[in-house]
Amino acid sequence: MNPLNPVLAVIIFGAGTVAGALGVALGLGGGIFLVPFLTLALGFPLKSAAAISLSTVIATSSAVSARRAGNQLINLRLGMVLEVATTAGSLLGGITAQYVAETALQRLFGVVSMAVAFAMISRINRRNVIADPAADPGRLGGRFYEEESGGVVTYRVRRLPLALVASFVAGNVSSLLGIGGGIIKVPVLNAWCGMPLRAAAATSALMIGVTATGGAVIYYGHGDLSPLLAAPAVLGVQLGSWSGSRVAENTSVKWLKLLMAALLAVVAVLMFLRSAR
Amino acid sequence: MNRLERTIGAVLRSGTVASSSLFAVGLVMALTGYRDALAGVLLEAGLVILLATPATRVVVSVIEYVRERDWTFVVLTLTVLLALGGSIVAAYL
Repeated sequence: MNPLNPVLAVIIFGAGTVAGALGVALGLGGGIFLVPFLTLALGFPLKSAAAISLSTVIATSSAVSARRAGNQLINLRLGMVLEVATTAGSLLGGITAQYVAETALQRLFGVVSMAVAFAMISRINRRNVIADPAADPGRLGGRFYEEESGGVVTYRVRRLPLALVASFVAGNVSSLLGIGGGIIKVPVLNAWCGMPLRAAAATSALMIGVTATGGAVIYYGHGDLSPLLAAPAVLGVQLGSWSGSRVAENTSVKWLKLLMAALLAVVAVLMFLRSAR
Repeated sequence: MNRLERTIGAVLRSGTVASSSLFAVGLVMALTGYRDALAGVLLEAGLVILLATPATRVVVSVIEYVRERDWTFVVLTLTVLLALGGSIVAAYL
């Protein structure tokens, strides 16, 4: 078991808190920050950082979705369809890692993040909802009660193949980078596939648990996932998802989109920096 | 709210509560050095429950779609389960 002192426990707890809050607001597991933080700031080996991060992602997914189940925001059917692509991507992740240089992957990731950030900003005022509660959501769409407009809204899912590709990529890089892939799926689902941000975030939050489990199990089996380090992260997630849900519900979608775009820009910079090392 | 969503909520809630409780107790014991061996067992159990929770969620989805005779989604969820099984195999190769 890795040595754990109270200071490190508090730091990992804090990282978990951020992950939990981001999970509620944007459907991210927070791995995209946790991994660079653990490797660059604390000097953890990449494997150990990715393993801890994946356990945080699972905890975020379960905690956030348990809190949310029943308010119609989670699109279960779409989630199940996209999970097939995600897990397939996850299984093939090892192969990608073998044939693609890590620096090339990081640069690609940086470019894509930047592009998606711009797409989010340029569509910041566009809503994906149909105010008519009687409108047909189609086979994979959904409807939910929206606090902001004070009524039931409907949405249809468009460009399913693109959503499948995004999910495949999310699964593909998941265990490699120690992330759940929400940072890839949520913006794509929102900007191009017709999903309202809150529904995309809730659906992603549910999916990232399964995505991360595939990778986490492998790290666990190889002895790279220490329960002593996962424990404070998971407890932090509880605090983050509990306090974050209050804040997120009172924040407008516009601000959430800006936050997402800002996070994507940060990720892009981080990826370029890592690829340059 | 539909049945499946309720069941999934219950699975995720119990998994979260169980793993967090085990982690909280185990972590305090490990940090204070009180009965280290037991602390290790509690933490290990918490981690296994954490990892098993999303997979259990997929299993109950398969069962519910079978009950609803929604065969498309039975196949989809079974595929996800199979892929997770593949990861477990890969973990111990």
